[in-house]
Amino acid sequence: MNRLLLSIGVFAVIFIAAPLVIVVPMSFSNARSLQFPPPGYWLGYYQAYFTDMRWLRPTWNSIIIASGTTVLTMTLVVPATFALVRHRFAGKSFADLMLLMPLAVPHIVMAVGYYSFLGKLGIVQTHLGVIVAHTCLTVPIAFLVLSANLKGFDRTLERAAISLGASPWRTFIHITLPILKPGLIVSALFTFVQSFDETVVAIFISGRDAATLPRKMFDSIRQEADPVIAVVSTLLFLLVLAGIVAPPLWKALRTRMKAPALSSGDFQS
Amino acid sequence: MQASITRLTERPTLWPWLLLTPLALYLAIFFVVPLVDVVVMSFTEPKPTLSNYTHVLTGALYQRVFINTFATALLVTVVCLVVGYPLAYLMTRVSPRSAMLILTLVTMSFWTSFLVRTYAWMVLLGDSGPIIALVRALGVQDPPHLLFTRFSSTLAMVHILAPYMIMNIYSVMRKIDPVLIRSAQSLGAKSGSLFRHVYLPLTAPGIANGSVLVFVICLGFYVTPVLLGSPREQMIAGLIGHQIDEFLAFGLGSAMAVVLLLITLTILTIYHRRFGLDKLWG
Repeated sequence: MNRLLLSIGVFAVIFIAAPLVIVVPMSFSNARSLQFPPPGYWLGYYQAYFTDMRWLRPTWNSIIIASGTTVLTMTLVVPATFALVRHRFAGKSFADLMLLMPLAVPHIVMAVGYYSFLGKLGIVQTHLGVIVAHTCLTVPIAFLVLSANLKGFDRTLERAAISLGASPWRTFIHITLPILKPGLIVSALFTFVQSFDETVVAIFISGRDAATLPRKMFDSIRQEADPVIAVVSTLLFLLVLAGIVAPPLWKALRTRMKAPALSSGDFQS
Repeated sequence: MQASITRLTERPTLWPWLLLTPLALYLAIFFVVPLVDVVVMSFTEPKPTLSNYTHVLTGALYQRVFINTFATALLVTVVCLVVGYPLAYLMTRVSPRSAMLILTLVTMSFWTSFLVRTYAWMVLLGDSGPIIALVRALGVQDPPHLLFTRFSSTLAMVHILAPYMIMNIYSVMRKIDPVLIRSAQSLGAKSGSLFRHVYLPLTAPGIANGSVLVFVICLGFYVTPVLLGSPREQMIAGLIGHQIDEFLAFGLGSAMAVVLLLITLTILTIYHRRFGLDKLWG
């Protein structure tokens, strides 16, 4: 039993790793179609990506939309999280559940709703429309991360500041916010990434002018499997790699530990 | 001073409502209204009848798609479990450093965009890809097409959703007290019965969490089945998209969306009653 489990486990590691690794050599391939191993290597498709407006514009759109979504989501979620974590009131558990609802609704269902709803508002196929939709979809993630941080907050520090004569506002600015900063950053980062990666709603509502990078990738995989996709995939993959490997490395360098450890905040579940 | 301390913590005020109202209003307008819109369209487009639902619930095409979606979601969940459970177990048995490496790999896979991973499977399973080349090298003259079949979309979905399963199971496994295992062994439990009577029940919460999550996400999966699956074996989300995009059949698309939503919410409600929804993603 034990040996069987362990050998399937090793096989599973290869299964998880293989698709992540394969896009990197593909991006240097000079083949016009999907061919692996590549017949030869060059940097032509990198040049194509960085000079082609059909790829750069969606990339820029995605950055604008993810930034807008992050600002709007955090503006709404931060005060609401304080209300839900620090106060008791009638209907609190209902409110807790409602904030998680956007996670429970399949994105294709929301896509149908937004297609018609944003059309009525006249903001379908605009940056604003996608930001409005993505904000709803990212509220639960931002809330979950932030409320976990706020629940672990040691409130005696605030009480100490108040008992030393600080006003509640001053306490909030000088004690609460600095302590909560890492949680706020992680929460905003998760929001940004989720909006940047969101595909289904963007496919249906972003149109031509506000087309996001995932939408462009979806269209080109569907139509012709443009080799530039391998370049975009590699760049996205390297961003993820940097995001995951950099923090523990940095921490290790700072504390001069020999074995870097991933903190539990680095992954979602 | 004492008064101001209690003020910060206990005073029953309007504060929570003031803080909560902007978000509540926002979700009411931009989340609930579009959902209600879907429900309304399912009854009124193109004209106010129940005909969309009679089509969706009795039409042969729709029934086949619903059955296919359920079968696929079930298969993906089972394969995720078969792949994920041993991998999580492996992580508890190797050195902390290796476990950390595997965890980093799973985390990386989790954060890498669906589209990137879907594209990678297109390369791996393509006609001029490594797997077909390997099959050829083994002497098979005419290898089958792997891409755009149920096989390719199922495999890619397993890869995309496996991290949810692995993280859920691993988080339970790592907390199991080794004393429990050793005491079962010292009481004479053989490897098989040890697994069945001790280890499996202890890891059951992780299995339940991971399976519900994978199954529910898979039911509404759009991107990967559309890009990698067979056009003849659509799943619900793909067909909804098709109705909206190609035929502008908002009524039929909405009716299917409502059915999908109800199925999803039913599963999650049952789960919520038993375990609590916040545990699922927390």
